[in-house]
Amino acid sequence: MPLAILAESPALPLHTAGKYVAGAYVVLFALVLIYVTIMAIRLSHIERELGELLEIAHRDPLESSREPQPDPAESTLA
Amino acid sequence: MYGKGLRTLSISTVIVMTVGLAMVFFYAPLEAEQGFLQKIFYIHVPMAIVTLVGFVVGGLLAIQHLRTRDPRWDMRSYVVIHMSLIFGIGTLITGSIWAKGSWGHWWVWNEPTLVSFLIIILLYATYQPLRFAIEDPERQSRYASVFAITAGAFVPMNFLAVRLSSAYLHPRVLGSTSNLPAQMALTFVVCLAAVALLFTTMCKYELTAKHSRAQVRALRRALLGEGTGPSRPRGRSAAPSVHPGAAARAGTHIAGRTG
Repeated sequence: MPLAILAESPALPLHTAGKYVAGAYVVLFALVLIYVTIMAIRLSHIERELGELLEIAHRDPLESSREPQPDPAESTLA
Repeated sequence: MYGKGLRTLSISTVIVMTVGLAMVFFYAPLEAEQGFLQKIFYIHVPMAIVTLVGFVVGGLLAIQHLRTRDPRWDMRSYVVIHMSLIFGIGTLITGSIWAKGSWGHWWVWNEPTLVSFLIIILLYATYQPLRFAIEDPERQSRYASVFAITAGAFVPMNFLAVRLSSAYLHPRVLGSTSNLPAQMALTFVVCLAAVALLFTTMCKYELTAKHSRAQVRALRRALLGEGTGPSRPRGRSAAPSVHPGAAARAGTHIAGRTG
């Protein structure tokens, strides 16, 4: 059905106009694809940073427990 | 905060976009003069409309920024202008492809619509360098807002000037919508909605990404015990700092929990 419609009376023959139409729609698709790629890269950066921060957050209590305990009097004053 | 409703918006965009493309190729009839080549207009014209409206919206958001001094408005204005520029480049490329198919030339310098659109794009191409040239974030956002308002006012004036000019070589789609067959008009409206939704979704993604990054930075500062105050030096960037209040609040909250 669509081919029959297309074959009706295009001013430019389909083999000529088709490549231009395809090109224009590929531009739109490429724009969206490039944007999705950029967003994916950004997301991976955020994920990596969050991973590092999670590591720091998990490491901190262990490090603080290894440190020498402060004088109880000092800690009360603080 | 910025991610609220993003899922619904993304799904809506995909659905409307798919319906629009299906209508372009399987529902809209062939145009008598241009035939299949006219199908380009279903994306080219909506992209051009969304680009120009985006620039004007960027100016309106900049007015809001100058009125309230809230950096969130500056961020919104920046993202909308940034996205409009991308869509504008898409418009120029699809327009050139159509011109090559229809006129036999990639670009025609004596066509007022083409040249005026290029002028607008070149004008907005200076927006990012302008921002980057100013190191102080406060001055940067203020000057950028003034630019966005001035350039945003230029867009409709330029559009009107071209419409009022005597040469009418460029096909008029908006002015002749009433002459379009119902099927073509409906397809055009759906495609316009699809491109507008795509634009909104991309803006929202951008805002959410920037906000998330700011929150991660605030988290890092809080965990590593670095200062969160505004006095902390910021590297030079064209992008505005995202919602520092929220980032600082996030930092304080985390510092309170870990400290």
